[in-house]
Parts: sequence; structure tokens; C-alpha cells
Amino acid sequence: MIVPTYAVVALAGLMTFGFALLGAALWRPRVQTLEVPDSWKQYHFGFATYALIFLAFDMEMIFMYPWAVVFAGIGVKAFLDMLVFIALLGGGIAYAWGMGGLKWE
Amino acid sequence: MIAPVVEWIAFGVFAFIAVAGALGMTTTMSMFRSGIFLMASFIGVAGLFILLLADLIALLQVMMYIGGMLVMILFMLLFMHDPGGAMMSTHMSLKGPEKWFSLGLARRQTHGKHPHGQHEGDHGGHGDDMPMQDMSMYTAIKRPAAILALLTGALLIALLVWRPHWAVVHALPDQDSPTRIGELLMGKYMIAFEGAGLMILLGIFGAVLVQRPATPPPAPDRDQLKAAIDETPPPIEDDTLEPEVLDLREDEDR
Amino acid sequence: MGIVWASIATLGVLLAGGLLTWWLEPRLLKAFGSTEPGPAAPLDIRKNPRPSQADPLTYYGAPIIALFGVVWATVCLPWGPALIPADVNIGLFYFIVVVDFVVLAVALGGWGGNTPGSVEACYRIVAQLAAYVVPLGLAIIGPIMMARSLSTVHIVEAQRDAHLWYIAPQLPGFVLYLVTGLMQVYRAPFLEPFAACIDRGVLGACGGWPGVLWRLALAGLLFVVAAMGAVLFLGGYAGPWLPGWLWMLIKTLAVMVLMLWLGHRVRLRGTADMLALAWKFLIPVGLANVLLVGILILLGVGQGPFPLVGSAP
Repeated sequence: MIVPTYAVVALAGLMTFGFALLGAALWRPRVQTLEVPDSWKQYHFGFATYALIFLAFDMEMIFMYPWAVVFAGIGVKAFLDMLVFIALLGGGIAYAWGMGGLKWE
Repeated sequence: MIAPVVEWIAFGVFAFIAVAGALGMTTTMSMFRSGIFLMASFIGVAGLFILLLADLIALLQVMMYIGGMLVMILFMLLFMHDPGGAMMSTHMSLKGPEKWFSLGLARRQTHGKHPHGQHEGDHGGHGDDMPMQDMSMYTAIKRPAAILALLTGALLIALLVWRPHWAVVHALPDQDSPTRIGELLMGKYMIAFEGAGLMILLGIFGAVLVQRPATPPPAPDRDQLKAAIDETPPPIEDDTLEPEVLDLREDEDR
Repeated sequence: MGIVWASIATLGVLLAGGLLTWWLEPRLLKAFGSTEPGPAAPLDIRKNPRPSQADPLTYYGAPIIALFGVVWATVCLPWGPALIPADVNIGLFYFIVVVDFVVLAVALGGWGGNTPGSVEACYRIVAQLAAYVVPLGLAIIGPIMMARSLSTVHIVEAQRDAHLWYIAPQLPGFVLYLVTGLMQVYRAPFLEPFAACIDRGVLGACGGWPGVLWRLALAGLLFVVAAMGAVLFLGGYAGPWLPGWLWMLIKTLAVMVLMLWLGHRVRLRGTADMLALAWKFLIPVGLANVLLVGILILLGVGQGPFPLVGSAP
């Protein structure tokens, strides 16, 4: 079941690739060079804390999918379990917010 | 069903992506490409997981590394002086994989004349005209490191060949992995599950603490400080120390 | 369906949906009185700009990766009980993961384009990712909990068996999906990575065939996200009288129109506003929504034939 499914995914990807190359080979309008300065420089970005917390929550979301699938089958126990988990995460957000982490710098 | 030949081809392709990505990561001159190559390497490994019928793990790997690597790349851009690797690949003579994985990075024009303050966007970029030796990813340790890596690889392959036999199990793994994992998380591994939540919480604490700015100096001082750092120091003729080195240290202290 | 036909059908569906969206969206925007097209900016066919300092590998590779993302997302969209390219058994998780490839592509293309605008777009797109992934996941968790499955077909079947579209018990989740969906497809009010002030980001640095591919990918993105909204909350292909695929198409277009209309009711948001909205409002709402859905399920909603509490587990 898994291998044929992902065979479709792989084949669709390959076909997309072929389609893109085919178009590039068939239609080649004249290129106008855009004179711009080199922009690869050192940058500061304003959402460093968001980015780090995002990584933590990204990990947390992964736990939620298997949990959601079995939730209805298990019932109250799963609910309490997730309540603790959500409380931990809510605590994380509250802490970040309280410490002034959730702002653009 | 899919012929074993196709499976072998798929294995070869994914293994090649994983290995070539890792090689590209270590040899390219561009910080950005380096992160992308590492991501490609992990996505190749995800393909191998799918061949092992572990689809949830494979997609998890893809999700984590796309998000993780993009964020990591932003942090690398924050700390590198030549994140695109353009100057290095323009001014250094590269050979072998370094050349191949840095193709297309070299600039057609001479560098060093990009104007300051080109971007006044949210991120307030500042382009530094740092001399080459400061931003080079090329270090003398590279050759011993390469030899060490090759030896480790050879040792691992030798262990693989040396091992007398692998236990072959004919049972197929359960293909409904999310349900199985969910039941395990709610039953046998519940402590581990809540423990993971706690670890993530600690991770958030750490991230906020690290990112929390120290008390900044009052604004006018800070502007002066920034101006002092941004302006290139006058060249000193009879000094053995290079002024740019000092400049770099100040930059880090800030 | 055989593997080859399934792949061809996937590509066909995406092409049809993408072209339909490409044609429809500017007209809808005009009807809503919008002046900022964002990713739906028209392609000027006479221009084919190429930045002088571009990195060719990522500059030309990026639109293809974006297309990969939307094509792969199309694989798990059901158009009938058996009319689906491949019923991925972890469908929704798979969907969220493959749509990330579009973000990756915009970051690659932005950096590779190496114009001031496109590099700025590279930063903004990562901010967009950090904003939308978690609340979107929390919105999607609700239907998964009620249907007890990650597979898109199972979710539609569960709604049909329960005689209940999940929009009814999970209205907050649906609204959350619409808002985070707008972040995910970069439409107004969250079109910072394609804003006019940075010359449309990657779109401004591209023309010709890469430009076509970018537009196809971004139009297709709106299409697949709207289609997934229809599957999750509006019962997908299930419906009386009409064939399943037509119901699916109608519901997809309805979600799309609703999203675009909603997006143009409010003023444009900057990246900082968007991040604050996502983390200070949407994620707490999402967590509350998960708890609410949990309580509803414990009460038996959506677990048996509507209207009443069926067999509680």
C-alpha cells in the first residue's frame, strides 16, 4: 500500500519535472538582463524568537497527529493526557509572551 | 506491484541525493547553498525511510528539516559576512567538488562596490567590505578532516561487510503507522510523551532566554556606537596588526 | 487506477485547477475592489527579466520545486470514493508537509534571484512559515479527531456517515482554517512576500517560462488549499443529485471565494502584525479549539448519525 502510493508521488514529480523542462525547451523568449546590485549580504531579521519557538512547536505538532487519530477510540484518558500536553505548551507561549519574546525586534 | 529493479533504482537515487547533499554541504562556498544541500541530504534519507515502509517518519523528517533548515539558514545569514559565497568563489581558484558545488556563484562584475544602505527594509541589511581572509570557509584543517571522514566511512562499510549475517524477518510492518504510534503514545510511552512536552517547554525557555536582549544602552549612544562600527577604520601604514581584525572583534562583542 | 494513470490524472487536475484559479482570481479581485493582486499579479509576456547577479541553480530550480509541492498536494485530494490519485493513509499530515515545499521554493528563488526585493521575500516567506504552520495544524486536528483518520477519503466518508459537515460543530476551526489558509497561500491580507513594495519578490525577478511556472504553482496552491478546506469542513465530494467531482469543485470554489472575500475585508498586514496575530491569537484559539472538539467528541458529536448523540465510544 505504501510503496504504490509513493510511486504515484514520485512519478507525478518526475512528470512535473519533464513538463517544466519541456516548456523551457519549447518557449525561449529573449532575456533582458536586469542590472541590480549584489544583494547577498549580512542581514538582521526581526523574528528570531518567533523562529526558535516555531521550531519547538513544529515538533509538538508532530505528536498531535497520532494522538488525534486515536483520541475518539480511547476517550477520557487521552483527553486528560492531551490536557497536560496543551497546558505545557500554553505555559511555553505564556512564558515567551511574558518575557517579551513575542515581538518584532 | 513494483518490480524490485525500480526499488533498487529508487534506492540508488535517494542514496545518491543523501551522499551528494552531504558532500555539497561541506564543500560549497555559499552558506545558503550549504544549508540547502544539508536539507536535500535529509530529504534523500526520507526517501530511504519510505522504501522501508516508514512513511510517517519520512514525512516527519521532511517537515522538520524544511522548517528547521530555513530557520537555521536565516541565523547563518545573520552571522556570516559573505553568506552567498560570491566573493570567495569569484576570488579563489577552486577545484574538484568545491568547484562543482559552487558553480554559478561567481560574480560577473568586480565586487566591493555595492553601495551601503541599499536596503532600508525591515531587516536593515549592512554589507561589509570585509577582506577575504576573514570570511573564508577554507581552513587548513579541511584536508585532515576529509581523510578522517573517508576513514570513518570505510570503517563503517567494513563493519557492514564484516558482519556475518543479518536476521531477515519476513513479516511486513504494520502500515497504519499513525494509529499504532498513537496507541503507543497513549499507553506504553505516555511518560515519554509528556516528557517530550516538557523538553519542548524547556526548549522554549532556552530560546526566549537566549534571544532576550540585554538592556540596551540609551538610543543616542547606540547610534554613535553603530556608526563607529559601521565606518571602515582608516588604514594604518606602519602597524603590523591588521585593522580589519579589530573591527571584526568589535562586531562580535556587539 | 494504475500508477501511471494516477500520476497523469494528478497533473491534469492540478493544471485544470491552477488554470481555472489563474483565470478566476483576478476577476474575483476586481469584483471585490482590490488593487493589490499579490501572487495573482499578471504576467507581462513581453518581458523576460533576469537579474544580472542571479544564482542560476536556485533561480531556475525554485519554480519547479514549487510545482512539486502543489502537484504532490494534489495527489491526496479526493474527487469521488474511488476517484483519487492515491489514498495516502497519512493524507493530511502528508498534505501539510508537501505544501512546505512551496515555502522552500520561494526562499530558494528569492535568494537565488539576488535582487533586493527577492532576497527580502526570502526572509518574509520564512516568517510566513513560522506564522502559519502551527495554527493551521491545530485547525486540521479537529476533523482528524472526529473522523479518527488522517486519510482524506476517510474524513469525507466519516462526514457522510455521520450526516454532519464538520463546519457545524467546528465553526471556530473552520474560521481558523480560512485565516491560516490565507497565510499559507500568500493572498491578501498576508501577501508580504509578494507585495508591490518589494517589486513582487520572486515574481518581479522572473519572466518567461519560469514566470509561468511560478504563477501556475501559486494559483494551484490556492486551489489545493481551498479544496482541502472543502474536504475537511464541507464534506468533500459527498452530496445529493450531482456527481461527486462536481460537488467537490463547487465546494472548492466556494471556499476559495470565501477566503478571497474575507481577505479583502481587512487592510493588508505586515509581517510583524501577522506573526503577532498568529502567536498571540490564533495559536491560543487553536489550542482551545482542540479542547472544545475533544469535549464534543466525548459527548458523542460526530460519532454516530446526526442529529443526536450516537454511540459514544
